[in-house]
Amino acid sequence: MEASSRRSGDRTVLEPLMEINPAEIAGVSPATPLSVRSVALSSVSHPILVFIGTGGGKLLLLSLDPSSKSIELLRSVSVSNRPIDSIEILMEIDRILVLSDGFLFLIDRLLLQPVRKLGFIKDVTAATRRVGFGDSLNLDFSGDGLLKADVSSAGQRLLKKLGGGIRANGVKQPRVSESQRGKESNCLIAVAALKRLVLIELLVTASSDVDSDYGGVSVLLKEIQGVEGVKTMTWIGDSIIVGSLDGYILFSASTGKCTPIFSLPESSGPPKSRTLLKSKEVLLLVDNVGVVVNDVGQPVGGSLVFQYVPESIAEMSSYVIVARDGKMELYRRKTGTCIQSLNFAKSGSGPCVVANDEQQSGEVVLVATSHKVTFLCKVSAEEQIKGLLRKKNFKEAICLLEEMESEDEITEEMLSFIHAQLGFLLLFDLHFEDAVNHFLLSKSMQPSELFPFIMRDPNRWSHLVPRNRYWGLHPPPVPLEDVVDDGLIAIQRGMFLRKAGVDTSADEDFLSNLPSKAELLESGITNIIRYLHVSRNKDLSPPIREGVDTLLMFLYRALNHVDDMEQLASSENSCVVEELESLLGDSGHLRTLAFLYASKGMSSKALSIWHILARNYSTGLWKDNPISAERDLPDVSVDPITGQKAAAIEASKLLEESADQDLVLEHLGWIADIDQDLAVMILTSEKRVNQLPLEEVLNAIDPKKVEIQQRYLQWLIEDQDSDDIHFHTLYALSLAKSAIEAIESTSGSTNFKADNERNVSDVVSGSENSIREKLQVFLQASDLYDPEEVLDLIGRSELWLEKAILCKKMGQETLVLQILALKLEDCEAAEQYCAEIGRDDAYMQLLDMYLDPQNGKAPMLNAAVRLLHNHGESLDPLQVLEKLSPDMPLQLASNTILRMLRARVHHHHQGQIVHQISKAMSLDAQLARIEERSRYVQINDESICDSCHARLGTKLFAMYPDDSIVCYKCYRRLGESTSARGRNFKQDPVFKQGWLVTR
Amino acid sequence: MAMPSNKIKNAKLVLLGDVGTGKSSLVLRFVKGQFIEFQESTIGAAFFSQTVSVNDESVKFEIWDTAGQERYHSLAPMYYRGAAAAIIVYDMTNPASFSRAKKWVQELQAQGNPNTIMALAGNKADMLEARKVTAEATKTYAQENGLFFMETSAKTALNVNDIFYEIAKRLLLQAQPAPNPSGMILMDRPADGTETRASSCCS
Repeated sequence: MEASSRRSGDRTVLEPLMEINPAEIAGVSPATPLSVRSVALSSVSHPILVFIGTGGGKLLLLSLDPSSKSIELLRSVSVSNRPIDSIEILMEIDRILVLSDGFLFLIDRLLLQPVRKLGFIKDVTAATRRVGFGDSLNLDFSGDGLLKADVSSAGQRLLKKLGGGIRANGVKQPRVSESQRGKESNCLIAVAALKRLVLIELLVTASSDVDSDYGGVSVLLKEIQGVEGVKTMTWIGDSIIVGSLDGYILFSASTGKCTPIFSLPESSGPPKSRTLLKSKEVLLLVDNVGVVVNDVGQPVGGSLVFQYVPESIAEMSSYVIVARDGKMELYRRKTGTCIQSLNFAKSGSGPCVVANDEQQSGEVVLVATSHKVTFLCKVSAEEQIKGLLRKKNFKEAICLLEEMESEDEITEEMLSFIHAQLGFLLLFDLHFEDAVNHFLLSKSMQPSELFPFIMRDPNRWSHLVPRNRYWGLHPPPVPLEDVVDDGLIAIQRGMFLRKAGVDTSADEDFLSNLPSKAELLESGITNIIRYLHVSRNKDLSPPIREGVDTLLMFLYRALNHVDDMEQLASSENSCVVEELESLLGDSGHLRTLAFLYASKGMSSKALSIWHILARNYSTGLWKDNPISAERDLPDVSVDPITGQKAAAIEASKLLEESADQDLVLEHLGWIADIDQDLAVMILTSEKRVNQLPLEEVLNAIDPKKVEIQQRYLQWLIEDQDSDDIHFHTLYALSLAKSAIEAIESTSGSTNFKADNERNVSDVVSGSENSIREKLQVFLQASDLYDPEEVLDLIGRSELWLEKAILCKKMGQETLVLQILALKLEDCEAAEQYCAEIGRDDAYMQLLDMYLDPQNGKAPMLNAAVRLLHNHGESLDPLQVLEKLSPDMPLQLASNTILRMLRARVHHHHQGQIVHQISKAMSLDAQLARIEERSRYVQINDESICDSCHARLGTKLFAMYPDDSIVCYKCYRRLGESTSARGRNFKQDPVFKQGWLVTR
Repeated sequence: MAMPSNKIKNAKLVLLGDVGTGKSSLVLRFVKGQFIEFQESTIGAAFFSQTVSVNDESVKFEIWDTAGQERYHSLAPMYYRGAAAAIIVYDMTNPASFSRAKKWVQELQAQGNPNTIMALAGNKADMLEARKVTAEATKTYAQENGLFFMETSAKTALNVNDIFYEIAKRLLLQAQPAPNPSGMILMDRPADGTETRASSCCS
């Protein structure tokens, strides 16, 4: 703990209430001076009772009314003629214990009855009452006879003395029965006298008029011997802590065991101890150091270091008050910080004592020198903070607030209240960051309280702003700009005053380094944004939520935080569009506005903005955008192409979800101009519930944008499984058209070598193959288009394969074969087609074509030979021979005939092989059947029919292949094909291992 | 760290040593990571607490930084009584502080708890050129007396966290629970149950 933190400036925790001269009040003549030696305070009843013990053995009772600051003497009694050393209020038994002249005296609280002297004990040096933990300590006073025990190494002896009968000093102790004990109240005190420690239980019975010696108080005793030179003493729980010149020792009240706590260094002052009631701890003084120990003598927390050796110590809530020589100081118990110093009398005005009623709230403190008594009153925490805030001592106020918070001395509500008040003060002092930090700490503050700082009154939310003025320490809210202006004027005034030598409360930092208005505004806005941002996560009412979001947008705009604006606008928000529409439009934050429209479901407005933006980007108008001209904009806006694309992407996002046909068709055009993919995505979006009307979409698609149309149709046919003939035909035609164009363009480019001269905007260049493939696949796969129409289109083109497919669809076999065999010379495909037709005459037709291609083409003899080789068996040799041209060279003809004949022989041989294999299998099957039928079955007496369960005996029976046996009758009934086990051999044949049938 | 089985063990730790050896500076460095060139002399004792994590366990040190002044020597027993660990600090540029440290060790061995883990810290290790106490001599002494020894510097933070970490490790090692005899209890309990049942049956 650094020493610097031990001094915490001057706070006003205690403020003087009044001062009195006790002699004057007591009406004593100045000739016989009255000196104050001890004091005590009881605030149980109202007014407060003040006990003053004088040097002359007098006890004065005063009544103090702190609210009216009136004090009067109630009574005064003479206790002895020696000084009164201490006054202890025994609340439990409603008595006052006074120590004077080595004797203890008991008096009732109002000093109405005569003073009773506890005559059985003399030479008393210290007395203390026990502070319990809410438990009752069983000291066992009812022992029998005198018990002596050596209980500690130090040789201390514990003596238990029984109560009852008459004790050595003539104390009369009436036996108290257990039934009586229930009605009585008791109080434990420890008394140090000469060489012993006496523990006394004072009992007050219900009938207080008993003729006991002590005004209705009976006494029970217990002694611990061998304790010497006791100067100070405290008792908490079971522990009596005794301070002598040697040091501090802890005694256990129940066992008498003693443990040294620590010894005092040489030439140190007398020991002094004080019970800290609040924490049930004891403060032990060594020099100017207060060591706090708990009820077992273990140290707790760091030492309290006082500025001087205190003469008197008192405890007030979480503070320790020390006094000496006309001065008093207040220390915070936990941190050891000195909170307040106070001079209440001239230095050298004699010994002083400080006291309060620590058993109660203890908020009235009495501090006295010999001839003067000063009353002080605790300032409530709120008042303390208010005072500090009024002085603009924010640091100290925050410090105090933290202290109170850590000690739980403040309610949650008050804490929130103070944080808010602090925040407003800091806000008007232009410390925006700190202000918002405090606002955020306040749980009760409403975000609407900041609205007047953002938007000038009156506005949409004016009626929502709570009229909470807190302590009224700050001016009413005005727009932030005015706050900054006023603050700057105040700072300038402060500077001026400072130069003139006048002290001001203006901020040091600002005085030495005057911030600019722009800086301050930015800081203010940034921090309010921070606050509103956090507020968004709170549970707010809808109108306030609207205010928060709208004003947040306002502030983002003020700082031109485009990203934040767009983020807010595009996420879920409660912005009020009407408030922002013109604002954002005027300042050119069109993207934000579009997002905002979109998030509010105003798609058409959003879309028209995106359209405008896209157009502006493309025409370069974005350069004239007032915002981008002045300030930096994010990259999206700087690059026109990406900007345009971004607009299209955003628009397409909206359109993908929109089922509004007109809207979609309206905007499809410009989006398609920018990016066809996006347009297709819009049309084919699965996000909308109701699909757009197909015809109208198709009509709306720009006929030049073939790809879009094709992809839309493809989606309709492939993904949506449309089986509308019209769409299929349309798709086929469109693909065919593209394919034709592709062929033309490639042939064109190869012809003219003018590579990019032609604009191939609608046909992806180099995609001829892919388009044809697509077309072919579609023509093959779909049966729904009109082949004639397509054929019409491609009739004059070179798309031969496609033509073949179409002819195939139309069943024009000859045409197909002609195209395949003659035009494409694809023998394989032609043969394949013949196989598809499946008739022998198809092969013959093909052969005919090969041999006589017509149109002056030479016979395709190789193809013919190949055909004969592959399919010779299907051709009639006679027909083949007839087909052969008489001009055919013999070599080739013989080859052809040879192949054909060979093929036939080969075919014959193949047939023979198959025949023989089948015969072998048949034989195998027969063999297996015979084996199966010639099986032996053993039947005995117990064999029964599997069906009717009758004994077979000597009856005729049958066995099924699955080994089930039935009597003949059942066999006739079941038939051959179904066994007794229900197996139908026709449907579920049996195969057994060993049967040779393997196929 | 976030394991639910994470236990926190509280441990009282006391710093002892001659005046000006840097006890408060060591604590300040360990607890707040700060160093103050002209640290004021401690009066009475200062209290701090700091938690050290060793694997999945934590030790919360309750640190008593005692005053080195001879005048407050009598208070020391109160602070080292019941301490789980003690760091005895000397200034390696000052031989007198080393002899004082030895006296503290003696006192602790005589008066303190035999289980107290004692660490010897040779502080101000940043001032190597002014070294008066050799590390070798100290090491031998530490070994003979069963202390663990580190040369530390509160100024450069050398070994400061390490010494506390080492203590925490040793404390946890010391606290390793003895084999749990709960198995026996489990064995006993059913036996008891049958007995009572049997007796109630018979009576």
